[in-house]
Amino acid sequence: MHKHSAVNCFIPPHILKNIATKGTESQKFLAISTLKTSEQMRGQRQALADFTTAAFRVAVGGKERVVYDAKNGSRLPGTVVRKEGDAPAADVAINEAYDGSGTTYDLFNDVYQRNSIDGNGMRLDSTVHYQVGYDNAFWDGEQMVYGDGDENLPVSERLFNRFTIALDVIGHELTHGVTQYEAKLMYSQQPGALNESMSDVFGSLVKQYKLQQTATEANWIIGQGLLSENVNGVGIRSMKAPGTAYDDPVLGKDPQPGHMKDYVNTIGDNGGVHINSGIPNRAFYVTAVELGGSAWEKAGQIWYVTLKDKLTASSKFQDCANMTYQVAGQLFGAGSIEQQAVQKGWTDVGLTVDGGGTTPPPDGGGCLEALLRLIGAAPAAKR
Amino acid sequence: MQVERIKFERTGGFAGMRIATDVKLHDLPDEQASRISELLDDLDFDELPEQLAGKDSLPDQFTYKITVETKKGEHTVVTGDASAPEKMQELLQLLNRLARTPKKQ
Repeated sequence: MHKHSAVNCFIPPHILKNIATKGTESQKFLAISTLKTSEQMRGQRQALADFTTAAFRVAVGGKERVVYDAKNGSRLPGTVVRKEGDAPAADVAINEAYDGSGTTYDLFNDVYQRNSIDGNGMRLDSTVHYQVGYDNAFWDGEQMVYGDGDENLPVSERLFNRFTIALDVIGHELTHGVTQYEAKLMYSQQPGALNESMSDVFGSLVKQYKLQQTATEANWIIGQGLLSENVNGVGIRSMKAPGTAYDDPVLGKDPQPGHMKDYVNTIGDNGGVHINSGIPNRAFYVTAVELGGSAWEKAGQIWYVTLKDKLTASSKFQDCANMTYQVAGQLFGAGSIEQQAVQKGWTDVGLTVDGGGTTPPPDGGGCLEALLRLIGAAPAAKR
Repeated sequence: MQVERIKFERTGGFAGMRIATDVKLHDLPDEQASRISELLDDLDFDELPEQLAGKDSLPDQFTYKITVETKKGEHTVVTGDASAPEKMQELLQLLNRLARTPKKQ
């Protein structure tokens, strides 16, 4: 993983790669020559040679999914029950894990040009029916694991349904894998809450992408459908209004803050990683709604580049605020509406971005849009 | 092992919800109490290290903290899902269920 220079205007190589792979002949030519120029400037001729070969090579190792059944035990991964290309199984959890990991793969691949969790076609392994009465899902460092909820309790006592029921839960778990290969955010305190927030952000984007919802159409609920009918709640978390997802006599009230003034200091939950994630979650929501349209396009792109190229293991909320602002400037231009939207997102949760001065980059920024306009792929002019 | 009291806490998980219970064994139905004692004996609970979890927390896994009190004193074990021995699963499920039973307000 390399860090991009903050002073040079750059078009992320993954975007160029996409243009070089999927564009028309003239677009390919332009993308390659743009890359050539910048790579020569950086004196990375070898990197260019590798890239140009890679760009025109048919991708090897694309989407490959395997679903296992733990048969209510705790041994992982369990027995293979559905492989890539197999017909649907009779078991709904198996099919949800298969389809959900496929949709998550598609978002990362189609929108961010990322080939699977590791960026290199890693196989997507999921295990369903983990243990008995296991009301949880997790990423174990190598694969996704899903429980069936409270299936062992009488219907009247059940609080949770099976965890594959919600597509964003699947996207959430898989994104933990992406974070493990990129920013490697520690799973504790603020870095841990950022790790959680990234999983909620891309989990929610997977769902919005599948449903083709705009930022204003989406409900921004994480884990809709996960709570049983016995619970007074709409889901596990709300990115739009943290702290409002449930309020129930048995489960208690959603403890998430949506502003730094309500930050929760606790030793439980690895320092509140599932609690304080409400703050960066809301910053993303505000940014996405400010920009309108499909959240995965601009807001998602800014967050993805930040996760991939900027954040490190010990990054905190303020770092994420500064870096998303910086990335927005690099992708869309200093002072662009995109950068202003990011600023508003963080301001609304009580964080002031430090953009490191107001001097625009040497070329005036906005190079991505300039390139896209040049090749006729720019979105309609804004404002 | 003459168990008198068990304190149990589960934190973390996808939902980040904490559940906990603190029970005296003689307050439980006989069958349940003797099963818990059996499971603890089977595990050699008082010989288990205090930390079964690895140094790194895994995303969305539960963290369980079990404290068992006997006449001789108390012993606490902390574990995650993946680090819990297979023999501990039934005990964890039993304690989960106890912690989930609605309390009389």
